[in-house]
Amino acid sequence: MANARALDKRRKSIRNIRKITRTMELIATARYKKAMDRANAVSAYTDRLSQIVNSLAAAGTEVQHPLLEQRENPKSARILVLSSNRGLCGGYNSSVLRTTLPQIEELKRSIGEVGVDVSGKRGIGGLKFRGVEADRQYTQFEDQPAYDEVEKIASGYLEQYITGQMDRLDVVYTRFVSTSKQIATIETLLPLGSLESDDASKDLGGEGSGEYEFLPSAESILEEVVPTSFKTKLFKCFLDSAVSEQVARMIAMKGATESAGDMIKQLSMTYNRARQSQITGEIMEIIGGVEALES
Amino acid sequence: MSLRCVVVTPERTELDREADHVSLPMFDGELGVLKGRAPLIGRLGYGTLRLQTAAGPERYYVDGGFAQVENDVVNILTSRAIPVDLLDSDEARSELDAAQDMSGKTPEEMQVKELATRRARGKVRASK
Repeated sequence: MANARALDKRRKSIRNIRKITRTMELIATARYKKAMDRANAVSAYTDRLSQIVNSLAAAGTEVQHPLLEQRENPKSARILVLSSNRGLCGGYNSSVLRTTLPQIEELKRSIGEVGVDVSGKRGIGGLKFRGVEADRQYTQFEDQPAYDEVEKIASGYLEQYITGQMDRLDVVYTRFVSTSKQIATIETLLPLGSLESDDASKDLGGEGSGEYEFLPSAESILEEVVPTSFKTKLFKCFLDSAVSEQVARMIAMKGATESAGDMIKQLSMTYNRARQSQITGEIMEIIGGVEALES
Repeated sequence: MSLRCVVVTPERTELDREADHVSLPMFDGELGVLKGRAPLIGRLGYGTLRLQTAAGPERYYVDGGFAQVENDVVNILTSRAIPVDLLDSDEARSELDAAQDMSGKTPEEMQVKELATRRARGKVRASK
């Protein structure tokens, strides 16, 4: 049986680790709430935007835009991978990477030229290890991605797409479904496909679906709606991954804290046994000595 | 009962208050909105949003987006709304210079350049 002092040392270090994991869990919980609030705030914006799209459609405008159309024989594609800067968040990064790699292969086969952009140190490192070099790396996104930063990236992509340097943009991110379910998803953001948002909050326009006056014209508004909706979609991807990261960390750290507790229990038992047997051994020695002297 | 002006950005609701008169920086010029305006959806340009409130005038720089007027509520969707006092005039000027230096060889590049120039001009004008 291991010696009692070594066991005690080990137990102490596990206690310290448990303290750390518990703190991390609390921090992740607080950040998750903040990130969640931001993700909810963006829906106020997207709801209004889809309301405008709906009234454009209701006015009989044909929804047509170069960003919405599929390009014939695309030549170069781009993948944006959203991962986290920090580790210790369970399977969050690995599931993103696991989704990314087949997609890269697939695009290489069907389109040919594939560029990869990565956000987050973990993703950059993970892809490098698997032999994929990132063209552009973003490490400035933490738990609260700023719209200004995302918009810069989005405008860069729009520029590349319009000038024909890129024919397709896929984003790999972790979609937040609920606190117990986050899925790594691939979404094709360019070409946009349709303007309909997948949120079920489209009946907002019901309140006063009056006849609108379009200034300067419905077409001009549409020209602006499409890039804006691309930008908000990308922003939503960033927010979703931020929320998912915090949830993943929260759950991972909760598990770690619990396992540390179990381990401490186990070790305490072993330690007590070891201590008891040590004491028994010492007493036996004394008794043995006394008996030897008597005889 | 006066107008209600709501400014929403993707990050949060920037502004929600009552105003007597709202002046919107539309894509092709300014548009004044008073109480009782007919419903309207408009495209915003890069310029200054002016509010006449009971507490005095307020000015914000608005970075494109849309305006929707209905039932005496002015909804403004924009990527950024910055109070004019916080804008830096020198920074705006250097942005304009950078935009004018962009290459414009193809029609697409021209389009990108024009957009950047227009945005920078609006910023310079607002920051004065």
